[in-house]
Amino acid sequence: VSITEPIVHIVDDNASFLAAASRLLRASGFTVKTFRSAEIFLTQRDENAPGCVLADVQMPGMNGLELQTALAQSLNPLPILFLTGHGDIASSVRAMREGAEDFLEKRAPKTQLIDAVKRALDRGAREREARARQRAVRALFDALTPRELEVLGHVVRGKLNKQIAGDLGIHERTVKLHRTAITTKLRVQSVAELTRLTDEAGVFKASAPACP
Amino acid sequence: MHWATIVWSMIASACATVALIYFLVWYKNRASRAALYFAIATVSTAGSALCELWMMHADTVGEQTAAIRLLQVPLLVLFVSITWFVWTYLGAGRLWLAWTIVVLRGLYVLPNFVMGQNPSFRELSVDHIQFLGETVTVVGGVTNPFLAVGQFGVLLVLAFVADASITTWRRGDRRKAVVGGTIQFFLAVGLLSSLPVLWANARVPLMISPFFLGLVAVMGYELSRDVLRASQLLEDLKISESGLRETEARINLAIEAGDFGIWIRDLVRDNIWASEAWRALFGYAPSEPLAVDDVMQRVHPDDRDMVRRSQAMALAGANGGRYESEYRLVLPDGRTRWIASRGRVEKDGTGRPIVMRGASRDVTARKRIEHETQGLRQEIAHVGRVSMMGQLASGLAHEINQPLAAILRNAEAAELFLQDASPDLDEIRAILSDIRADDERAGHVIDRMRGLLKRQTLDARPLDILSLVNDVAALVRVDAAVRQVKLDSDVPADLPHVRGDRVHLQQVLLNLILNGMDALNGASVEDRRVSVSARLDGGQMVEIAVGDAGSGIAADVLARIFDPFLTTKPEGMGMGLAICRTIIEAHGGKLWAANQHSGGAVFRFTLPIADGASS
Repeated sequence: VSITEPIVHIVDDNASFLAAASRLLRASGFTVKTFRSAEIFLTQRDENAPGCVLADVQMPGMNGLELQTALAQSLNPLPILFLTGHGDIASSVRAMREGAEDFLEKRAPKTQLIDAVKRALDRGAREREARARQRAVRALFDALTPRELEVLGHVVRGKLNKQIAGDLGIHERTVKLHRTAITTKLRVQSVAELTRLTDEAGVFKASAPACP
Repeated sequence: MHWATIVWSMIASACATVALIYFLVWYKNRASRAALYFAIATVSTAGSALCELWMMHADTVGEQTAAIRLLQVPLLVLFVSITWFVWTYLGAGRLWLAWTIVVLRGLYVLPNFVMGQNPSFRELSVDHIQFLGETVTVVGGVTNPFLAVGQFGVLLVLAFVADASITTWRRGDRRKAVVGGTIQFFLAVGLLSSLPVLWANARVPLMISPFFLGLVAVMGYELSRDVLRASQLLEDLKISESGLRETEARINLAIEAGDFGIWIRDLVRDNIWASEAWRALFGYAPSEPLAVDDVMQRVHPDDRDMVRRSQAMALAGANGGRYESEYRLVLPDGRTRWIASRGRVEKDGTGRPIVMRGASRDVTARKRIEHETQGLRQEIAHVGRVSMMGQLASGLAHEINQPLAAILRNAEAAELFLQDASPDLDEIRAILSDIRADDERAGHVIDRMRGLLKRQTLDARPLDILSLVNDVAALVRVDAAVRQVKLDSDVPADLPHVRGDRVHLQQVLLNLILNGMDALNGASVEDRRVSVSARLDGGQMVEIAVGDAGSGIAADVLARIFDPFLTTKPEGMGMGLAICRTIIEAHGGKLWAANQHSGGAVFRFTLPIADGASS
């Protein structure tokens, strides 16, 4: 199994259903790992493995909804797909609001189950890619010095070199040198590109409110 | 004019006056015979007094003889009238004695007039003495032995009165006995006073009438007590009349305060009188004529039969002729009003009902509250039943869903594996083994549900079917009344006890009866009945049947009626009969359904007779 192969994690306290569902998904071409409880899943899973989670809502100990919360706070929040013995509106509403991929009855038609798993895996892959890209961009910004970050903050707010020099109490030529260093390190060509990248990396999200 | 003349004249006139009064009393009230006899006795006393007065002033022997002869008449009448007065007033005495007195005294007087014999003296002489400052004539001579006959007659009167008084005394009427005794006393004294004159030639005038005046006074006093009592009664009547008016005022107050409308139905002429409050209640104008049929038309069509029935029952004498019913009115303007009516049938001497009186009042508000409370109670009961069934059903569904889901997924996986060019047979074997295990698991769930009833919660004891049926009847009574369903029960008291769990069997019976009542929705009033009956079924079982007069069970439903989740009711769970059958089978009995020939469905179940209780 290659590291990039997505894994369907099935979490259910009911051993016979666990085995049956695992067989069906394997026969349908998925890579499957099974866990008898939410706690076992959280401690034994491969932190970096891509894929999705297929969990029973009602389990002794940590139930499906608690698992969803714990998973969302982890570094690798896999999309979650709920299974239930019988439709329970209150928990399904809550699960969907918390971002569950789907909420299915255990005896739902096979195609519905397979489609839902596929959608969850697609979404997992997309989110994983987005997270990887964000990490790469952040790595670029990490190369900037504090002074360069300060200048960048003014640039993305649309200030002119002269204004930046005035604000920071440095020479206008020094500002130009900083800007050259920034564009080189971040490998961008234009101010527009710089702004988009900064936005994508979310560098100033907390401190600087968006300015047109 | 001198004292003797004055006194004797006064005695005579006083007696005459009293006599007149009592003649009038008798004339106005012919039934008071005592007054008549008293009046006669008084007149006789007056006559005696006048005769005595004549004797006092008769100077010649011839005149004296005439006076004595005449005196015998008032005396005869006096003794006879006293005798009959005592006979009537005391209501005692011997009749033969009374007649003997009449005959004897009559015999004594008769020769007087027929033969010109003086009964008292054979030879008569007259003399003059001073009496009360006046010169009066006294008689003397040889006494006629025949006198003894007359005086024996007086003794008989004394005996008669004495006998009557003793009887009266023994009877307990002391007062009248004393009256008799007093009469006797004056009679005796009068007799004694005459003895010296008649037998011993005492030189005094004959003075019987003053003593007889005492006699008259006693009798008169006694009779006047009756008059006094009558006036007292009149007074009492006035007091009770005012009490009656007070009572009437109080009743009126109660009627107004209670918002009662009063009605009186004359059963002979078949018309109705009703108070204004009643007219307002039933929507009649104060002067509008009332007719029984018209009033009945204002009763809600659904309640008319019930009202007629309870009136007919009261007329037939049920409940001591009391009538009580609650029904709806539909007023001419279309409004509906609830009326509570109570009444009573009154009968004449021959037991024929002649009049029915009653009071009606508006109970719409109370009925509305009752209805709301009832609705609420039913809702709660229904929610209770539904939620219990719901829990049971959802628990069952969840437990069975797990193995079913596993079976489904395994089967789907197996299908996919088999599509491979070289299927992994070991995997497929494992799948089939798992499917078998899950199937068993599902079976266990069902067994466990059955076991819940069978082993753990069944508390079987000897049970009396009659009390079981009565318990459940009490539970559904209100429900039945609201739905206007009549619950008939025909359970012999001598059925042997059965063996069973009271609570569970109550649940079964309750379920079957409620189902029966549900089946009557839309049925007419006569058909709205559910019957429960029980009988021996062979020597080992008792069969209990719950039947309704509804439209029966459709053939396709009848075949599956005990299947879980089969229901014909919009809000039904379809679990009731399934559970009933499980309970009855756990008891070792059977539960089945059928349609009755007369229409409607009947559910029958059997229960084993308890050990030791044989038929």
